Amino acid sequence: MSSFKREKKEEEDGGGSPYQSLDKTIVLQEARHFNETPVNPRKCSHILSKILFLLNQGEKLSTQEATDVFFATTKLFQSKDVMLRRMVYLCIKELSKLAQDVIIVTSSLTKDMTGKEDLYRAAAIRALCSITDSTMLQAIERYMKQAIVDKNPAVRSAALVSALHLSSTVPDLVRRWANEAQEAVNSDNAMVSYHALGILASTRRNDKLSTVKLITPLTKYTLKSQYALCLLIRMVAQLIDDDDSEASAPYVRFIQSCLGHKSEMILYEAAHAILNLKKTPRDLASSAVSVLQLFCGSSKASLRLAGARTLARLTSKHPTAVAACAVDLENLISDPNRSVATLAVTTLLATGAESSVDR
Amino acid sequence: MVYTTMEGALFEPTLYIVKGMCILDNDGNRVLAKYYDKDVLPTAKEQKAFEKNLFNKTHRANSEIIILDGLTCVYKSNVDLFFYVMGSSHENELILQSVLNALYESVSILLRRNVERRILMESLDAVMLAFDEICDRGVILDSDPTSIVGRAALRTEDVPLGEQTVVQALYNIMNTNY
Repeated sequence: MSSFKREKKEEEDGGGSPYQSLDKTIVLQEARHFNETPVNPRKCSHILSKILFLLNQGEKLSTQEATDVFFATTKLFQSKDVMLRRMVYLCIKELSKLAQDVIIVTSSLTKDMTGKEDLYRAAAIRALCSITDSTMLQAIERYMKQAIVDKNPAVRSAALVSALHLSSTVPDLVRRWANEAQEAVNSDNAMVSYHALGILASTRRNDKLSTVKLITPLTKYTLKSQYALCLLIRMVAQLIDDDDSEASAPYVRFIQSCLGHKSEMILYEAAHAILNLKKTPRDLASSAVSVLQLFCGSSKASLRLAGARTLARLTSKHPTAVAACAVDLENLISDPNRSVATLAVTTLLATGAESSVDR
Repeated sequence: MVYTTMEGALFEPTLYIVKGMCILDNDGNRVLAKYYDKDVLPTAKEQKAFEKNLFNKTHRANSEIIILDGLTCVYKSNVDLFFYVMGSSHENELILQSVLNALYESVSILLRRNVERRILMESLDAVMLAFDEICDRGVILDSDPTSIVGRAALRTEDVPLGEQTVVQALYNIMNTNY
């Protein structure tokens, strides 16, 4: 191992970086080191990262080349080194689109995803779902369900997100996991709850009644996850747009309550939702606009852009509300961020009156 | 300027938020890049052209955010590296900003605060894993730098204890069975 370190150092002194001017054929040949026993984790991991680097730079591999590398990589499952194993997963994901017969690693990955090592499990699930097709899904269904209710949040998130990807090809199967996902929405972990809500939202997209059932209890208490709350606001806004009867009043109140949130992300999400409804309640519009006004004066460029852009989109719908922000927008004309300045100028031109031209 | 003439629209309730993430060097060359939507910049050639354009527009003005070719790009730079996160122009800019922060912070912790190209290339494998932990095919997987690094910086045994971050040190202790 120490000799390898020295070798790496020399390489660097010579060519600046170990990744400079890599040659595809040489790197692919280096994959023969994967056959050595015992496996040298550092060396092999470095070769894998070279292969990934080449692919990332846009280098093309032929099917044959990709398949050869893929099969060589499978030899590395002998090693227990965590970093190497994770690099193997990455390679599997990258090569699965290029190589043939990638399903041969199914059993290795299934073993890892049900094994003891938490660091393997989450990543193994994601790699496994990237090589699985609809015909093989049946075989791993039981493990996926288990993973969604696992106690490790990374494992749960990995399973939920993978299920979401799979739902585009096999919607029925994934719908059968709804109970497990429903439970995960109430997780204390912010990302688990976000991913669970996301998959439920996507499987119920065309079913309004069950969407209402899903959303109503969630609007009663505050979700801890910022991302989940953003998603909830989007779903609620769609419901209000579909149904402008009295029944949507509690939903409007929910979005209104989000205007008092301390997170800027939520504030913006709520203000944006309110102003883009087909029928914006008048009393809410002014409080939403005042949120955007505050954003226009922020020191962060992304906040100023978010504010200015939403106001710009409002010019035809709520011209008076935008005109009320003229002073804030005028301050943005000389903004160091050119996107912000352009938006401010175009918005002012669209709404401005003669009186403001002089200034 | 499509966006100024466009009618306002609600944000779409989807988890597929991130269109791409990349790190460029100070010549605008790609260090690492990932694109997640096959409808947006599908070929390597288009991606590199976009990256060049993006770099030319952003490398001098350090102004955090730009709208380019229908994509909202948030960015941040340090020494000779530029970090970008891309999303659709109908996306909550602050969510993209939170992903960028997660990316930058994780890489920064991984490189022990020496965010520069040479150091990054030495730990390229860990940075690749961090990319993978932050975003899965466009879905934000994790945005907490400490937990991302906890799962990406796995090879810490050869770092002297004094130079390890608290997270790494704790992580090693927890994973050693005495």
